[in-house]
Amino acid sequence: MRAANCGDAAAYRQLLSAITPVVRGVVRARGTGLGPEGCEDVVQEVLLAIHLKRQTWREDAPLRPWLYAIARHKTADAFRARGNRIDLPIEDFLDALPAPEVPDPTQARDVEKVLDRLEPRAADILRGLGLRGETVAETAARLDMSEGAVRVALHRGLKAIARLRERMME
Amino acid sequence: MKTDDLIMALSQDTRPAPGVAKRLVGVLPVALFVTLAAFVLVWGVRPDLAGAMTSPAVLKSVVPLVLAGLAGTLALTLSRPEAQAGRGAIALGIIGAVLAGGFVVALGRGGVAGLVDAMSPPSLLTCLVSIPALSLPLVAAALWSLSAGAPRRPAMVGALGGLSAGALGASVYALYCDQDAALFVLPAYAAAILIVSLVGMLAGKRVLAW
Repeated sequence: MRAANCGDAAAYRQLLSAITPVVRGVVRARGTGLGPEGCEDVVQEVLLAIHLKRQTWREDAPLRPWLYAIARHKTADAFRARGNRIDLPIEDFLDALPAPEVPDPTQARDVEKVLDRLEPRAADILRGLGLRGETVAETAARLDMSEGAVRVALHRGLKAIARLRERMME
Repeated sequence: MKTDDLIMALSQDTRPAPGVAKRLVGVLPVALFVTLAAFVLVWGVRPDLAGAMTSPAVLKSVVPLVLAGLAGTLALTLSRPEAQAGRGAIALGIIGAVLAGGFVVALGRGGVAGLVDAMSPPSLLTCLVSIPALSLPLVAAALWSLSAGAPRRPAMVGALGGLSAGALGASVYALYCDQDAALFVLPAYAAAILIVSLVGMLAGKRVLAW
């Protein structure tokens, strides 16, 4: 995480990938009524929150309590928004077994819906970096933008996604 | 979108995001300047300021300043998702209890008649309008800064931000206010600061949710 906050994208991706199965395990155990796709929506919401709130982690503090607090808050929030209020003890995350690795990670629907409502260029950048696995430099070259501008657009796009999702739930 | 794809996109977004403290350092001087400028233009200091600052009336500025510091620190702490309130909340509770105790003592001396007398409508109204008005830029700065945080309880952190801003506004307003009776200052300032806290709480519930 420290490396991630310093701008090391590879380390950050590794961290997010390591967290995901834990979050998925808890969400699946709790949200049996949501179905695998619905659960994956919640998982993505948690990841987005971890990303957008990463500056609230203090470098001298242990990472796990912070991570669990974010995941717990966001999972409870997501379930509440979907109409089933749940009580989520923090131990859930501590004891959670990672969800069994499925060969093809489930497709979630919410982000796709939100992307359609995003400004076309921002959606394009997000799809390029996410789905097609482009690097920032490649995206910048393709869209004839500076790398800085792509980064700004990406950051704004991610924030807009979080905002739109919340509005969608209301 | 698949989760792995989302992770890919997230990991590319490596721009550093300023935290609550960083935002506050940037915006608080601006807000404070607006408040002080408005104060100088509209209110102005009391003519006997030098004398008041060497009398117990100086507490009208000092105590709110301490209160603002404590509430602000607690709001900053609680803007982290894993944080516990701890000692900050206790200190805040002690100040609140001491102030309430002071009010009871003053009431015991002056009686209800003294309280009614002290609450003369014009100065009370001025106080209840002026403190929230002076605090407005500070509340905005506090909420904007705190919105970079991830509080477990947004309404409570919003209220603490409001409390801090209201108390800071009160300590500025005290430089104008020439009513020094404890029976006036304690209830009137407390009410004005609580109004600002309420604003912070209601706004925080929306602005600080994440």
